[in-house]
Amino acid sequence: MNQANRELKVLTVCGVGMGSSLILRMNAEKALSTLGVSAKVEHTDVSSARSMKADVVIAQGLHTDDLTGVAPVVIPISNFMDVDGLRQQLDEALRGQGWL
Amino acid sequence: MDVLEFIANNIFNEVAILIGLITLVGLVLQRKPVDDVVGGAVRATVGIIILFIGVEVFVGGLASFQAIVASAVGLDPPAATNTLDGFLGSHGGNVAMIITCGFILHLALVRILKTRYVYLTGHLLFWMSLVVTACIVQAFGEIDQWRLVLVGSIIVGCYWTVQPVFIAPMMRKVISSDDWGYAHTSSSVAWIAGKVAPLAGDPKQHDIEKIHVPKKFSFFKDVTVSTAVVIGVIMLVGLIFADSDVAAEQAAAYDPEINSWVWGFIAALRFAAGIAILLYGVRMFLAEIVPAFTGISQKAIPGSRPGLDAPTIFPVAPTAVMVGFLTTTVTFLILMGVFAAAGWFVLVPPMIMLFFVGAGAAVYGNAFGGWRGAALAGVITGFALAFGQWAGWHLLSDTAPELATLADPDWYLMILVVLGLGELFSGLGENAVLLVGVVIAAVFGVWLWILKRIQRRAGEPVTGLEKESELTEQSSGEQ
Repeated sequence: MNQANRELKVLTVCGVGMGSSLILRMNAEKALSTLGVSAKVEHTDVSSARSMKADVVIAQGLHTDDLTGVAPVVIPISNFMDVDGLRQQLDEALRGQGWL
Repeated sequence: MDVLEFIANNIFNEVAILIGLITLVGLVLQRKPVDDVVGGAVRATVGIIILFIGVEVFVGGLASFQAIVASAVGLDPPAATNTLDGFLGSHGGNVAMIITCGFILHLALVRILKTRYVYLTGHLLFWMSLVVTACIVQAFGEIDQWRLVLVGSIIVGCYWTVQPVFIAPMMRKVISSDDWGYAHTSSSVAWIAGKVAPLAGDPKQHDIEKIHVPKKFSFFKDVTVSTAVVIGVIMLVGLIFADSDVAAEQAAAYDPEINSWVWGFIAALRFAAGIAILLYGVRMFLAEIVPAFTGISQKAIPGSRPGLDAPTIFPVAPTAVMVGFLTTTVTFLILMGVFAAAGWFVLVPPMIMLFFVGAGAAVYGNAFGGWRGAALAGVITGFALAFGQWAGWHLLSDTAPELATLADPDWYLMILVVLGLGELFSGLGENAVLLVGVVIAAVFGVWLWILKRIQRRAGEPVTGLEKESELTEQSSGEQ
């Protein structure tokens, strides 16, 4: 299915949704723009994220177990500053879902 | 004059409007399209309004909690002549000015002194500025706005510059790279943990991955849930022992018809809700301001690294995170019992700090002493938070005592230093506050100079201009 004519909804998540999730959001925006995907990226905390829906969730591994069901794609992060690694993870996942 | 007075009263004293304008300027400087500029400025302004509403709910929940626990253990509830919402109402504008001027000063210092790390942990830009404002007002009363903002900006600007530098050599060991620095107000306990952990254990021999933390503790990672549960349990236990009149009075203030037990349960949930709301407000305005700060600093300071929040090191040792959180919480709860038995003070378990500070320190402890180091780090953090809360509440009782229950270890040190200097210079008239700024700048300056000498001798990179490769060469040489 071609999903590319709609904007991708991405959620970056951390413990209280203020510091590291915001950094993740900025890195995800960079990674997605190099992939040429039009996306709306938001950041939030674990509690709020569970009541939200998205196409992709990006969070550190500590939280990914709590986030299944929020989005079909959940991407665990181990290095917060690795934009290239994040781009590769997104590339792979989005191909699998028919976004790329 | 009338125009200046209007601006002073309606812009510089109204934090929501001031933050909105700062965001507007930041977005315009980034040449964002009009819809982003308008949307961002409005979101930042509404974020501040939400923050105020959250603080009101939180302060109310805290007062009920303290009243019940105090009555249960036969103490007087902690006294104060002002509250956080009152203080934010009168000094919020100054806090916003200090965030902005302090951050600009910080960027200038990083650029001139080549200190490598730009502080980008947004909520701590806000909270540290608030703590420093409260300290100066507590020490010197109502002083000129320009003196307050000038001295406040110097203090926070120096702190943000030096804090990531002093912990940098340990941080590089923890994350095995130099991609980013540790910019978090848990740095003092993290540093102590790193120093004492080798005495407790060895990172290889006492490998933390051999420890299995039961999965049933994992819901505690959600600080909204853990706050509600821990405060709720203490509240209900407190109600068993509390004076029934005190409980009835507190409950009636919420709803005259409600049963005290049901009220106690709801009060704990409102406490957690207040924190969730205030964090939502902080998140909303930071989401607009931090990208602007980041964009400006990346352009202005080539070679610099971002200084980031505590959770960025959690993936290095997820088990240490859980061990640190559990040992910090247990230590704090034991100390809560000790404080109550001794009749000292009503402690409030600060779940957010027990999690983030305890976990951050434990990751450092683990890197230098395995699981024993991580557990020891948690115990140290528990002590720092309990005694800090007790001291901080008393020290800020005329301004914003509730800050003591939301605080990290570095805040307590900052409170002690600023108020100590304030006490020292208190007889010197209206310019004494300027002297505090000068002394703190001098102390940070000397500290930075010594740090750079020590780090250079140890072969650590000390400016923003050394390459990552120098570091990797060195560490691969060790292996």
